[in-house]
Amino acid sequence: MNLSDKVSIPTQVMARTVGDETVILDLASGTYYGLDPVGARMWQLMVEGQTLAAICDTLLDEYEVTREALEGDILRLTEELRAKGLVSLA
Amino acid sequence: MSVHYTEQTARPLAPVHEAPFHQWAFPDGTLWTQFFRQGAGYLLRFPDLADFEVSADGASVQGFPAPGLTSPTVEHLYLNQVLPLALSRQGKLVLHGSAVDIGGQGVAFLGESGRGKSTLAASFATEGTRFLTDDGLLLEWVDGRCMIIPSHPSIRLWEDSQAALVNESMTMAPAVSFTSKARFLAGPGIAFCDEARPLRRVYFLGEGDALAPAIEPLRPAEALIELVKHSFLLDIEARDMLMRHFDDLTRLAELPIYFRLDYPRDYEALPAVREAIIQHALEQSESTAT
Repeated sequence: MNLSDKVSIPTQVMARTVGDETVILDLASGTYYGLDPVGARMWQLMVEGQTLAAICDTLLDEYEVTREALEGDILRLTEELRAKGLVSLA
Repeated sequence: MSVHYTEQTARPLAPVHEAPFHQWAFPDGTLWTQFFRQGAGYLLRFPDLADFEVSADGASVQGFPAPGLTSPTVEHLYLNQVLPLALSRQGKLVLHGSAVDIGGQGVAFLGESGRGKSTLAASFATEGTRFLTDDGLLLEWVDGRCMIIPSHPSIRLWEDSQAALVNESMTMAPAVSFTSKARFLAGPGIAFCDEARPLRRVYFLGEGDALAPAIEPLRPAEALIELVKHSFLLDIEARDMLMRHFDDLTRLAELPIYFRLDYPRDYEALPAVREAIIQHALEQSESTAT
């Protein structure tokens, strides 16, 4: 996986935003996950079909963070979501 | 309630050849309910007790007791387990919870079996605070407000709760044969509210580790996850309904009304628990009322 990848959301996964967080429901396993506000924003951009690099560009304008740290964070989150079957590489 | 129910004559629970698409079990692994597809509708089996056939739209249910099972047991299963599931198939929102009317406001208690929902509702109702439901919390949006719809006027309690709460002025419904939970009909000793009340507070019941009543707010996302966990849902594979259900719960989770409530599970502590809840519910609804 690298920054030029895009992800897609499998059909058995549903997500809803409440307040500034996101709750993800995996219908296949019946399990639930929560994303904090930053994770929720990353998720929103992923759903829009942007590459991870483009998501980084967007978020650099929104948060006080270095590109290096942000890239690490987004790759980590994507890997975690992928490992749980909540996203797949498009 | 908008479900047509008929109880049929007893019949043996015939083997079902397909595997259930869903089941409920007790923590010890004992099967409680199996969910089968039957044509376009559903067969709900309570092993050794009864079968219920539910139409595809959830509008009608037929109960088939196992030979030797008494009618009150079947009715009890119907009211507390099958009816909420059938309503969920009609797109209605039904949660595992009890509710009481505090100062005209609906206050709900959600929790898994054994967390004390019924005991708490009964504790209020025997002190004159009217209860709306002891399980199967039915919610409906009316003119932009989420309302609690009253259920049947009875409360079920486990034996130890009965000893602590029951006095002689209560009428006991015929005992049911599958559980030590007896059912009490509302009457002079147990106050029932038969009108819908706006949902103002939801308390998710903790495990009983607290030494004194403790109330903490929940974030909307935490509330949503709890609401999902506490939902009655007949067909967990019907994707369109599930999406709508998730949307309904999301709308509900956005209300600023969710708290975690824990307190020692000691009957002598109940008056203090009631007091803490009443004070909290009234304070909160005053501060959020517009």
